[in-house]
Amino acid sequence: MSDYQYILSTEHLYKSFGSLEVLKDVNLSVKKGEVICIIGPSGAGKSTYLRSLNQLEKITSGKIFIKDELFLHREHNRTIHRAEPEAQKAMLLEMGMVFQRFNLFPHKTVLENVMIAQVLVRKKTPEAAKKLAEEIIERVGLSDKLDVYPSKLSGGQQQRVAIARALAMEPEIMLFDEPTSALDPELVGEVLGVMKQLAKQGMTMLCVTHEMGFAREVADRVVFMADGMILEEGAPKDIFDHPTNEKAISFLRSVL
Amino acid sequence: MSKLKKLVTFKHWQRSTKTAVILIVAALVLVFVLSAINVSEQDMLNNASPAIKQIIEEEKTSSRKSLTITYNNLGVMNYISFTTSGASAIKESYVGFAGAIYGADEGGWKFAGQMVNYTYRMLGTGENLLHGVKLTLLLTTLSMGIGAIMSVFLALGKISENKLISKISSAYIFFFRGTPLLIQMFVIYFSVPGIFGFSWRSLFSAGDPEAVYKGAFIAALIAFSLNAAAYCAEIVRAAIQSIDKGQNEAAKALGMSYGQMMRTIIIPQSIRRMIPPLCNEFVMMIKDVSLVFAISLMDITTISKTIMTSEGNYLVFIPALLIYLVITAIFTLLFGKIEKRLSIYE
Repeated sequence: MSDYQYILSTEHLYKSFGSLEVLKDVNLSVKKGEVICIIGPSGAGKSTYLRSLNQLEKITSGKIFIKDELFLHREHNRTIHRAEPEAQKAMLLEMGMVFQRFNLFPHKTVLENVMIAQVLVRKKTPEAAKKLAEEIIERVGLSDKLDVYPSKLSGGQQQRVAIARALAMEPEIMLFDEPTSALDPELVGEVLGVMKQLAKQGMTMLCVTHEMGFAREVADRVVFMADGMILEEGAPKDIFDHPTNEKAISFLRSVL
Repeated sequence: MSKLKKLVTFKHWQRSTKTAVILIVAALVLVFVLSAINVSEQDMLNNASPAIKQIIEEEKTSSRKSLTITYNNLGVMNYISFTTSGASAIKESYVGFAGAIYGADEGGWKFAGQMVNYTYRMLGTGENLLHGVKLTLLLTTLSMGIGAIMSVFLALGKISENKLISKISSAYIFFFRGTPLLIQMFVIYFSVPGIFGFSWRSLFSAGDPEAVYKGAFIAALIAFSLNAAAYCAEIVRAAIQSIDKGQNEAAKALGMSYGQMMRTIIIPQSIRRMIPPLCNEFVMMIKDVSLVFAISLMDITTISKTIMTSEGNYLVFIPALLIYLVITAIFTLLFGKIEKRLSIYE
């Protein structure tokens, strides 16, 4: 069993862009292996929340804990210090991120996309990186596309490569930022398929998504966000069938 | 290995490449044949009139020289002229072409002879390395090369989050783009040695007859490089900033450092976008090199102007223009090829 209570948690997270408050006191705790879907109207701060978890946005105030330890910090003689760069990087790499617009490296082939950070950041030998990359690419079903450039792939295939690229860093938590929003409807299924398979294997996942069917089927917990706050959270059945919050009711009515 | 094989296999080439290669090979064959059958310098000398031959014989033993012989060989066509000074001056000239010798004192052959003579002088053939086309090519490629490398650091400096580095880079770019290249060159050639008490020619051994030119060339190279760096820096900065922010975020999320991200993700992608404006800058530089006239160096433009002034022939600009066009065409083609090569992933 793990020696920590929560693999990821946030306390009183605030984020503002100038005078615009995007996140207002967001508290969430995630256990290892949990799949959490974050839903809500656009502008709710869902993506910002996800992005602030792995430092793509700097939070204004609040605390992020990874495995019960303050993110990017370490405890020494009962005082909290900023961790060394290497330790910070290690904490950051506990999280893998998948973007709405894939953000694959267009000048690298599929294999190179999945290998590059392993070699540069994890300091693996190219042989070891290649072995793992091929293994993961096979898991997302693209073994026949190893030497293809991303521009030659469909959106769904690109997103699967992006998932493989994040998995190659062997993170414990996967963050999905609207992974299917930029896809043609007929390509959504293949990406959700890969995500379901990941969930089944016990990966801790945070997904910002508009795929309510996926949330209902796969999520252990659904979080409803609006106006930068978590307004409701609970089992998918409760949220979808008996929402209590006013805004959640009207949002779900409009999307279901 | 298969890539190399594909590259040298004729049938895999694109049609435009095939056409270009066929044309170039045909032109080379023609040039080779024409050069092979062309008359030699000795033939040209033997062709001179009896009066000239007599003078040549006389002056072999005397120390007094009144006869000037100019011989210009462009391979396919050569030109010789004999001029004597004094009261009874004789002037005669000949053009050798395709195995025959023609009198070039009037008409079409006179024009052809002048063109050969001017082209020969502008190419800098037979002169030192810092003359004519050789000077233009050397100065342009070297200063663009040095400038391009400097510009990457300037561009990264300008977009740096470090305020001081950003300010210094911006100031550098502002200064070199905001002042004339000619004055920048003057400052480096005249003022800098004045302030620090050295001279550019003294960088080379006193016995070197070309020390003056070499010194001037170094000064020009420094000025042109510093100037090119400023202009290229803006090109590089714009190209780097044109790369989608998502690339940046993906690299960060994968834990890459700033240096790793720039080196492996951002700069490789931006290079392709730099090529067209860099080609533009390069082509401008080829012509800007004419400013070196002001520090006693002779490039194509300077030579043509000198010929115009001393010989009063307004046709001298025709070969000058053609030479510039050929140089520009070659580099435009080269940059186009590089751009295509870098676009394989798009």
